[in-house]
Amino acid sequence: MESNKKTLIGTVGYHILGNHSMPPMMYPHLQKLSLPDYVKVDELNWGPVAVVQMFEAEKPAFKRVIILCAIERDHRDIGEITVYKWMGGLPDEEQIQACVGDAATGVISVENLLVIGEYFKVWKDEVYLVDVEPGPEVAGEQLTPKMEAQLPHILSLVRQLATGELNEEIKLQYLRGDKIFEEINV
Amino acid sequence: MCFKNLPIAFDEQGNAYLKEDIANPYEYKVVDLGVEQDKLKSLMEKNGFIRSVDYDPVTRVAGALAFHSVVDLQEKKVLSTNSMATLFRGYEIILKGRDPRDAAYISSRACGVCGGVHATTSALAIEMALGIKPPPLGIVMRNILLAIEYLYDHPLHLFLLSGPDYSEELVGATNPELIPKAANTKAKNKAVHGYDTILDIMKDLNPLKGKLYLEALSMTRVAREAYVQIGGKYPHPQSVVPGGISVTVTISTLNEVYTRLIKFFDYGQKTTGIWDDIFDFFLEEDPRYSQCGVRPATMADTGVWDRPDSYDGTFENCDKWGNDRWSTPGILVDGEVVTTNLKELNAGLEEFVEHSYYEKWDGQTYKTDANGMPLSPNHPWNKDTIPKPGKQSWRDRYSWDTCPTWDRMPMEAGAYSRMYLTAKAQRAPSSPYLENTGHSMKINVPKYNLPAAQLEWKIPEHWNAFERNRARAYCIPYSAMVAFENWQMAMQLIRNGETAVSTPYEIPKTGTQIGFGAWGAGRGFLTHHLIVQDGLIKNYQIITPSTLNAAPRAPWGAPGPYEEAVLNTPILEKYDKPEDYKGIDILRAIRSFDPCMPCTTHIMAKDTDHVVTREVTTCACGIE
Repeated sequence: MESNKKTLIGTVGYHILGNHSMPPMMYPHLQKLSLPDYVKVDELNWGPVAVVQMFEAEKPAFKRVIILCAIERDHRDIGEITVYKWMGGLPDEEQIQACVGDAATGVISVENLLVIGEYFKVWKDEVYLVDVEPGPEVAGEQLTPKMEAQLPHILSLVRQLATGELNEEIKLQYLRGDKIFEEINV
Repeated sequence: MCFKNLPIAFDEQGNAYLKEDIANPYEYKVVDLGVEQDKLKSLMEKNGFIRSVDYDPVTRVAGALAFHSVVDLQEKKVLSTNSMATLFRGYEIILKGRDPRDAAYISSRACGVCGGVHATTSALAIEMALGIKPPPLGIVMRNILLAIEYLYDHPLHLFLLSGPDYSEELVGATNPELIPKAANTKAKNKAVHGYDTILDIMKDLNPLKGKLYLEALSMTRVAREAYVQIGGKYPHPQSVVPGGISVTVTISTLNEVYTRLIKFFDYGQKTTGIWDDIFDFFLEEDPRYSQCGVRPATMADTGVWDRPDSYDGTFENCDKWGNDRWSTPGILVDGEVVTTNLKELNAGLEEFVEHSYYEKWDGQTYKTDANGMPLSPNHPWNKDTIPKPGKQSWRDRYSWDTCPTWDRMPMEAGAYSRMYLTAKAQRAPSSPYLENTGHSMKINVPKYNLPAAQLEWKIPEHWNAFERNRARAYCIPYSAMVAFENWQMAMQLIRNGETAVSTPYEIPKTGTQIGFGAWGAGRGFLTHHLIVQDGLIKNYQIITPSTLNAAPRAPWGAPGPYEEAVLNTPILEKYDKPEDYKGIDILRAIRSFDPCMPCTTHIMAKDTDHVVTREVTTCACGIE
C-alpha cells in the first residue's frame, strides 16, 4: 500500500446499541492514536449527503478512506473482522434515490454512505471497510468481552490501513455497489 | 364555545367548567372495526378472490411506518386503508426519572432531521414548569435557529422526497398522456425560475440528476451552515437550553447567518414559482387531481416564533404570548378557526390507545389545568405510556402510534397548518414582511439577485395533496422572512447592549411543577408535556406531527388523517395490467403530509395478488 496519502478514518454506527455501537465508541480512541499529519479522524454519522458535501469541499481530496463499522452478518463470530475494499459500482437509480431518502432523514447506514459517496464521485483512490461482527443487536452502552478483546487489534488494523504501513497480511474481501444490498443483507 | 364534543362549557366570564349532570363526561363509544373488515372480506369474496397478505416489517433500513391499502383497480378507488407505526421509540419511558435538564438533549434524538424543534419544545416545557423567562436575544436567536431548520427541511421534502413524484420520469411512467401537454404548456413564472415549459421543470425534478433536485441538496448545506452558527451542530443542537441559548452571539455570528439567509430570498421566490406552475398544470389538466389526498382542512398547530416583548414562558399568559407569535397557534375545523388560545388547544387534547400497542392507564392526576379548565383522563398530563406489544390486527390493534384528537376530532398537522391558521386568524402582530388577509398570506421578499417581490399564498378551496405541497413551498419565504425580521431584532439588541442570551435557573428539589412546550416541527404541531416531581421527570409525553397524521382509527372509528386522505384519493394513474400499477396517486397523497418517519406503503390490488411496495421516506422523527 502506498503511504503518505491524504486519508480519512471515519466511524459509522448508532450509539447505545451494544456491539453495534463499537465504531462511535472507538472514535475517541482513534483520535488518540499516533497518526501522521496526512491522516484525519472523523465521525461520519452525520448524514451521507453532508459527508459528500464535506468531501467536495475538502481540498486536496482524501485519497484513502477507512470506515470502521459493525454490521451483523451470518457465519461470523462476534469480534471477527472482515476488511472489505470498495470496488465501486452502483445499484439501480430507484435504490440510490431510496438511499438519499434515508440519508436525508437521518438514518445512519454504511451502505447508504458508500452508495451516495459513489454516486457523487467523492471516493477517490481507495476505500476500505473495517467491518467487525457485532452479533445480535442489543440496547446498552457496553461491549461484550469478545468485542472488547478485539479492540487493540481493530485499532492496529485501522492504523495500518490508514498509514499504508502493514505489519500483518490483510486478507481483503471485495464489495461492489451493484451488489451491496444483496451482500449486506445475507 | 370552542368545544362541541368534549363536556367543557364556559360561564359568562369566560371561565371553563365541566358540564354538569353527565354521569361519565369523558365516556366514548368504541366501535368494532371487525364489522368493516368483514364487509371488505365479503366484497372481495363476491368478486371471487380472497387474499391474505403478510406485511413485513417494512423499510429497508429503519422500518417505522407502513401503510396498507386495498384498492379496486376496476372502479379506480381505494376501499380500505390502515396506517401503522411499526416501531416503538419510547422517549417517554427513557425520560422518566431523569433530571429535567436532560430532556432537551435526549428528546432532540427523537428525530434525525428536526432535533432542534424537539430540544426547543422541551426547553419551553421546562420554562413553563419552572417559570423561566429567557432574555430577548435568547428568544430571537431561538426563532432564527428554528426558522433556519425549516429552511433545511422544506426544500429537502419538496425536491428530494416529494418532487420526484412530479418529475418527468415518474409522470412519464404513470400518466404519459400528461407529458406532451406539459411540453406545450408555458410556465407562468418563467421570469422567476427561468423555465420555459412545464416539461422543462419536470425534467429538472428528476431524481438524482435534475438540476432542481441537486440545487435543493446544495441549499440544505446553506441552511445547515447557518444553523450551526447558533446551534453548534446539526441536527442535534448543543445550545438550546431552558432559559434561552448557550452560545455567545456577536455581530460576526449574525453576519455569518445573514450571508446564508439571504440566499433563501431568491430561492423562496423560485421555489414558489416552480410549484405554482407544476400544481396549476396538474389541476388544470385534470380537475380530479383536486381530490388526491383531499380531506377537510381540520388541523391543529402550536404556533411558533415568540415575540421577545411578549413571551414569558408562563402558563398564565400563554394565550397572550401564543397569539403574539409570528405564526398563530390554534385549531381549524373544516377551514374555520375554532380557537387560537394555547390553553384551549391544550385542554382539548386527548390520546387514545384502543388500536395501538399500549395498555390503557389508570387514574387521572389532573382534573383541571392551573386555570380550572377541565382536562380529560386521556389528556397527555394524565397519560402513562405502557407498551403492550401484540399481534397486528386490522380489527383490533395495528400501530405503535396512538390516536391523538382535539375535541374528539383527528387533527392534521403540517408546516402548511402554520401558514393556514396564521393567514386565516389574522392575530399575528403586524410585520413589514408578512400580511395576513384572512384568505391569504402576503410575503414581502426583499431584493437579492432577483428583484424584491410580494408573494401571496391563498387559502385553497380544496385541501388536497397538491395544496399541502404548494403551501409548504410558500413556507420557505415565510420562514426566511421571519428569520430575517428576527435577525434585524437581534442586531438591534446587540447594538443596545442587550447581549444576554439565557436566564439562570435552578431545578427545585421538592414539589411538583408542570408545563407543556408548544412549538412547530418542520412538519407542524409538536408538544411536550412535562411533570417534574421532587426535581426529576415524573411524566413526559410527546405528540409529534406524525403522531397526529399517522394515527390509527379513533375508538369511535374515525380514520386518522393519512387513512382519510388516501380513502378519498381517486386512482388516476394509467395502467394496462394490475401488475403495472405503481400507486402514484396514493403515494402523492401520503407524501404530501411529509410523513415523519421512514414510511413504506403497501397497496393491495383487489382481485389480484399484486402488492405494491414503495418508500415514502422523510424524517425519522417519532411516534411514541
